[in-house]
Parts: sequence; C-alpha cells; structure tokens
Amino acid sequence: MRHIPEDELHAYLDQGLSRSQAVEIESHLAACHSCRATRDSIAALRDRTTALLATLSPPRRLPPAFDSLRERAADRMTTRRRHARLGAWAASLVAAVGLGWTASALVGPGRIVSLTERTAPPVPALDTSAPKASVAAADTDEPRQGARPAPSPARRLEPTPVRLESSRPIPTVTQALEKAREDSIRAAKLAVLDPAPVLELSPLELRGSEQDKPLDGMWRTMSWDGAQSETGRSVPHIDGLPVLRVQVQATDQNKRPLMVVAQQLSDGQVIQTIEGPAADVSELLSRRGGTSSDGKLGVTVSEATPGIDQAMAMQLGDRMLAITGALPSDSLRAMIRRINAEMRSK
Amino acid sequence: MSDDLEKLYQSTYTAVVRFLYRKVWDAERAEDLAQEVFVRALAHRPDKPRAWIFAVAANLARDEARAAVRRKRHLTLLKGDPIAQPTVSPSADDSVEHDEKMASVQEALGTLTPRDREILLLWDAGLSYPEIAAQTGLAVGAVGTTLARARRRLVDAHDRQQNRTRLGDNAAHS
Repeated sequence: MRHIPEDELHAYLDQGLSRSQAVEIESHLAACHSCRATRDSIAALRDRTTALLATLSPPRRLPPAFDSLRERAADRMTTRRRHARLGAWAASLVAAVGLGWTASALVGPGRIVSLTERTAPPVPALDTSAPKASVAAADTDEPRQGARPAPSPARRLEPTPVRLESSRPIPTVTQALEKAREDSIRAAKLAVLDPAPVLELSPLELRGSEQDKPLDGMWRTMSWDGAQSETGRSVPHIDGLPVLRVQVQATDQNKRPLMVVAQQLSDGQVIQTIEGPAADVSELLSRRGGTSSDGKLGVTVSEATPGIDQAMAMQLGDRMLAITGALPSDSLRAMIRRINAEMRSK
Repeated sequence: MSDDLEKLYQSTYTAVVRFLYRKVWDAERAEDLAQEVFVRALAHRPDKPRAWIFAVAANLARDEARAAVRRKRHLTLLKGDPIAQPTVSPSADDSVEHDEKMASVQEALGTLTPRDREILLLWDAGLSYPEIAAQTGLAVGAVGTTLARARRRLVDAHDRQQNRTRLGDNAAHS
C-alpha cells in the first residue's frame, strides 16, 4: 500500500486539495495507522508554526475609519488626472526613443485604437518616395487621427529596428519639454527612413463603464507554468512585472488559446495583456463593460479607474494582441510593441 | 463594490498589517503601508481584491526593504552619536521576555529561503492555495510541498536555536 507523502498531508490539512483528492486521502487514512500518525505529527507541526508566527505580531490597534481611506483615495485620483496629461507626454518620449513600429494616432480617453497591420503587397520602389518621409515630420502640430495612407512596403513578422513615431503634442508643455519634443522629432525624421509596415489605425468607441463581470465557465485560471506549457512558452506578458493571474480560454484544439495575463506595475496598477484569435479578442474588448448579458466572453478586462482607462490592440494576421490599463495611451502603445517584438523574437 | 472593499478592510486589515510587519519589522510603518494598500485598492477597484491587496502589500514591502538599505547606510554614519538609554520600567520583564522570544522566531524565519518565507507568510495571512499560487507563480500542487518544507525548517531552526541558548546558559552557570 502506498503511503501518503507528507506534502500531500500538508495540503490536505490546509484544505488545498480537490474534493476527490481529499476523499481519497481520507479513505486511506481510515485504513492506515502509520499515515494517521504522520497526519497527527504534521498537524502538530502546523500548530507550532502558527504559534511561532503569532509571536511576530505587532501590537494590535484599531484600524482607522474606512471613510478616511476613501477620502485619501478620492484626493489622489483628482491629482492623478491632473498629472495624466504630462505623463502621457513623458511616455511618448520613451516610446519615441526606444521602440518598434511606426504608427501615429491621437488617442483620447475612452477610445480604443486598434493598430491593424495590413498584409499589403509590396509596391514598386518608385511609389514609396514622396509622402513617407514627410508623414512623421509633419505630424507634430496637429493631433492626428485615423488611418495614415502610407504607401511604404508592408513588412510582416520580422523584428524591426528602432523606428519611430512622432509624439502627441500637449498645449501646456513647458519650454524644457518643448525642446525635448524637438529632439524626438529629429529622431523621428531619422527613423522614418527605414521602410515601415503599413498600419491602419482605427479608433473604436469604448462602451460603458468598467464593471466587474464574472468569468464564464470556459475560462480557466492557470498557473504561470501551466500556461507556458500549454502555449509553448510564449505567454503574452511584459518581462519583469509580477504576474497576478493567467486566464486561458481554449478555442480550437490545434490553435493557441485565447489568453489574458494580468500583471502589476510597481504602483499597484494592473495591466492586462490579451492574445488570441482576432475575432475573440476584439469581441472581448468591445464587450468589456458592455451591456450584453449573454456574456460568453464576459471576462473582466479592466479593473482600472473609469475615465482614464485605455485599451490598445494590434492585429497580426488572424491573431490579435491587446493591452488594457489605466495608463496613457502612449505607454500602452509602447508596451504592446515591446510584447509584440518579444513574442516574435521567441 | 465599495461596500465589499469595506468588508474586506474590516476582515483583513489586521492580517495585512501583520503580513507587512513581518517584512518591515516596524509596527507603525506596517500600518502606514497597509492603509496605503487599501487606498490604492479604492482607487483601482481590483476584481479579486483579496489577492490584489496582498500582492500590492508584498510589492510595497519590497520597495520598503530597498529604501531601508539606503537608510541603513545613513544610520551607520550617525551611530557614533550618543543616544540616551531608555529607563527600564517595572513591567519590562514580560516585554523583555517577549522581545527575546520574538527575536528568536524572527531569526528562525530568516533562515528560510525568500520564496519559502513568502509562501509561509501568505498562508499565515489567510490566503488559499490557489491564491498563493497565483501570486507567486507557483503551481497549486507545489504550494503544499513548499509549505511542508517551510514549516519544517522554521520549527527546526527555532529548536536548534533554543538548544544553543540552553547550552550557552548551562555553560555560563557552571
């Protein structure tokens, strides 16, 4: 008769086993004297640990009134909104200097911008001449929206060298920022010489407010390791941030599943990366906070502050990569490019 | 929703303070950080608030530890200054005993690997196996194994230390 390993008994006593596992252990315990003795000694060990840890407790004091914390939270959110615009600018500089794809669009709060990479056929070299170089350079005074009809050759699924994008002007920037902006424009002019993929930017309406929605049955919350083995190592995420949870929805047996990875920034803010078949991801995005209650894809995509929440999506063939969070759109855009580049390089 | 957070606050605030205290070893600081965690929860409205709160608490404690290292350098510089000794109060015997006991458990806890320690503290704070797994990136099946090891090490380290102290006392008496 196989005896129960000690760690399983720990898990059993901690109620960390499934019902069926627990039943199995109980029936073994009923028949096995030696395992019962082990269980008792482990129970004693657990109690001692708890008692030892209990000595490491600070003097107990009454918690402050919850309303005082509410006020602090409200104060902070007002301040954060004020800073958000400046933050957007700073983030766009980072995006401009460091990262990938050429694209430009002004994203206001409450709108999703989807970057759709087209698989346009290569066009003759002659056609690529005039408008391209001027695009990013001319881009600096007026906010741009919508598609840019760039006639440059499309390039798909290759890592691209540093290439640039002009940034989003903010009327209230100081002179120092003004100068920094000029620098980034200069960088943009240099970078645009590289052939860029054709990107179409289409703003989408974001519906409603951010309400939590329960997960539906088809979703599974997985461990990081489990998700990695299921998807063959490329779980969409940002390196170096703690992962709060991984949720997976299997679609087709042979295809990579739809995944939602929640990660936490150092300030506690949560961002979510979504990767999956394009139709599913866009449905997920358009449904978040939506009113429909049939909710097959009713997963909570955002736990961010209403009002400054953003989502950004990039379509690659029949897959779509999206990221959501209460961050300036430029930051999200920078992140999505980085994830995209990392996933391609694997 | 806000009410849910308030309920969670009433039920877990003490556990969050304790969790933080075992990382920063300063009661007041632990309380400040715990309040900070809940203020952030109010602003961010996480959908799994309990797990979220402990994840943020762990992050704050980590940042705090880094800051403490910087402060320590500064403190060593000031160490030469004379500091008034606190006078011993009549009831100090109990508290001295408690302090000693606490120091020994603290030391035993320090012998664990950071990961084992984290998982033990999360468990002691009331998180379930799946919650611990989600927060630490461990497979749910591995949580029991880790806890088994962590508990054994904590108790063994503490026992060894008590034996040492007893031997030391005996040597001093003879």
